[in-house]
Amino acid sequence: MFRPVCKSTNFHPKLWLAAMALLILYGPQLHAQDWFKTETSSGADRIRIAVANFKPISADAQTSSVKGTFDATLYSDLASAGIFDIVSKSLAPQSSPGTPAEINLQQWSADPASAAMVAFGNLGVEGGRLVANGFLFDAKNTQYPQVLAKQYNEDPSEESARQIAHRFADEIIFRLGGGVPGISETKIYYVKMGGGNKEIWEMDYDGANQHAITHLGTVTLSPRVAPDNSRLAFSSLGREGFQIRVYSLLLGRMVNFAAAGGTNLSPAWAPNGKELAYSSSRSGDPEIWIADINGGLARRITSFRGPDVSPVYNPRTGSQIAWISGRTGLPQLYIMDTDGSGVTRMTDGGYATSPSWSPNGQFLTFAWNRKYGPGAPGGQDIYVMEVATKKWIQLTHDGGRCDFPSWSPDGRHITYANTADGRPEHMKIWTMLSDGTQKRALTGPGADMPNWSWK
Amino acid sequence: MVSSLPLPPRQRTLDEGVLTSEKPSPAPVTAKEKTEPPPTPKELAIPTKVSKPVKTAEKPTPEPPKHVQPAPPQPTKAVTGETAGIRIAQATMQLKNGTASVSVEDRTFGSRFAYYVNIVNRKVAQNWYTQEADPRASEGKRVTIIFDINRDGIPSNVRIGTRSGSPSLDTSAIRALQRVQDEGFGPLPQGDHITVEYSFDYRQQ
Repeated sequence: MFRPVCKSTNFHPKLWLAAMALLILYGPQLHAQDWFKTETSSGADRIRIAVANFKPISADAQTSSVKGTFDATLYSDLASAGIFDIVSKSLAPQSSPGTPAEINLQQWSADPASAAMVAFGNLGVEGGRLVANGFLFDAKNTQYPQVLAKQYNEDPSEESARQIAHRFADEIIFRLGGGVPGISETKIYYVKMGGGNKEIWEMDYDGANQHAITHLGTVTLSPRVAPDNSRLAFSSLGREGFQIRVYSLLLGRMVNFAAAGGTNLSPAWAPNGKELAYSSSRSGDPEIWIADINGGLARRITSFRGPDVSPVYNPRTGSQIAWISGRTGLPQLYIMDTDGSGVTRMTDGGYATSPSWSPNGQFLTFAWNRKYGPGAPGGQDIYVMEVATKKWIQLTHDGGRCDFPSWSPDGRHITYANTADGRPEHMKIWTMLSDGTQKRALTGPGADMPNWSWK
Repeated sequence: MVSSLPLPPRQRTLDEGVLTSEKPSPAPVTAKEKTEPPPTPKELAIPTKVSKPVKTAEKPTPEPPKHVQPAPPQPTKAVTGETAGIRIAQATMQLKNGTASVSVEDRTFGSRFAYYVNIVNRKVAQNWYTQEADPRASEGKRVTIIFDINRDGIPSNVRIGTRSGSPSLDTSAIRALQRVQDEGFGPLPQGDHITVEYSFDYRQQ
């Protein structure tokens, strides 16, 4: 570490050293004594990143169409990552550099773009293959600017252009986001209403590529995908009432899960993928049961009067379950160990439903109507609670009824269902950052109960 | 609590507005209207006679003679690290309560992968909760933490390099590193480990 030796008159020497180091490093940004701080951010700021339009390396019609998809996908992935301050395309320089030799970094680091990082590259269809070269450069480091260089080679189609953009965006987010893998390739499973039935559908995390998974011709609820993305568990209405059923995404067909008496709802995968917790009323009262993934060896965890539903494992440890219990009247949020001990009530009143545990195990998100009753103010909104302190924050406000929050695997996003006018057929799936900002709808009306895949 | 969500911190909402504040705004102070007593004749100032200023013609100032500036002498020494353009393996970040600066022992790593040094700095700064330090005891103090980052970006072997003299400040700095230990900084771009020296300067606003 470089330390200038300066004799100051009336200064604490260490403070003076720190000030000198500051002055040398960020000379143009601040002057040692007379700078002031305008409280725009209370902590460290976010990385400002610019995305150049990729340069086409071949001039056919297919290249220009996949290039449009690629540019739009890459930009929206980075903009919705939650860790960047993205340079708007209107502020970025007009040029689209294709290779490291073509980029003029000063152009990007200067006003108005003033980017700290630039993502750029080229793509085109060559010999029947879609080839893309992506680069990430540190615009402030003129000596060694390159942070990342990636090459992709795929079948030429819109879909693979989107996949390449997702993978490149994830690579950037992984490097600059401090080791948290990006979520651009994750999926959201949800319930789609149509024709009197409810089926399970799948879409990309950004709402693209929506398609059906099940064709059971009945009412199917609460899809939950396995931690390894191999199976999908849900609750489906059949001849024996609501039963837990499992669909294999690898085989593309239903696989066995032993039926039980009563109403069986809301399955939840253990993070090791070897057990399922769900709510079953085979003993007369809805209680939490845990079974293996074939439905065998079922054991009861709760034994209280009143319904116990919507279990969810702590994904970090796998040794705790959060669930909703009506043992004291209105449904409240509780947590317990997976053997049924250590029951702790988390909410102090109101009407709480559908918890989801954050990937780092620190937070719970759930839907909560804090002042439940006729004529009570407020409505059902999404809340986040810190498990250790039971402190909570409200993420949605006055947007109509919200329900079914689900964390993304990076812990930075939450997807949820919202209906602006309260009618269930107008339910849409939304996504937001886990501090409640950047809300946007992913689907049209008629979509409900989203579940974010584990990876 | 919002600050411990794995997202960068955001701007705080203004708490002074009438609509956003929980506190009722203070009622305006009303004073009784007072009438001025009529001035006594002695207090009335006698107006002085206004005289026009004397106009003087503007004299053109002669232009100073042009001198040729002597060229600054060329430095006879080799360029040292003080010049701009050479990056030092250090990054400093201003925070609400103080400064966080990081430096790596391997000088070439710091210049080659300046972005990684910045990420380390940013991530630790985000997880340093300055309210954990006692503001009176820690004012103006500086603690230096030394730790290693392994190939996967996980910090380990966290130890105090220089104590600040304020135990709560030392603990808050150690805790900042412990919060990062779960997910780390992301994989190292080069090498299998690197030693980092991280300084926390506490300064009350």
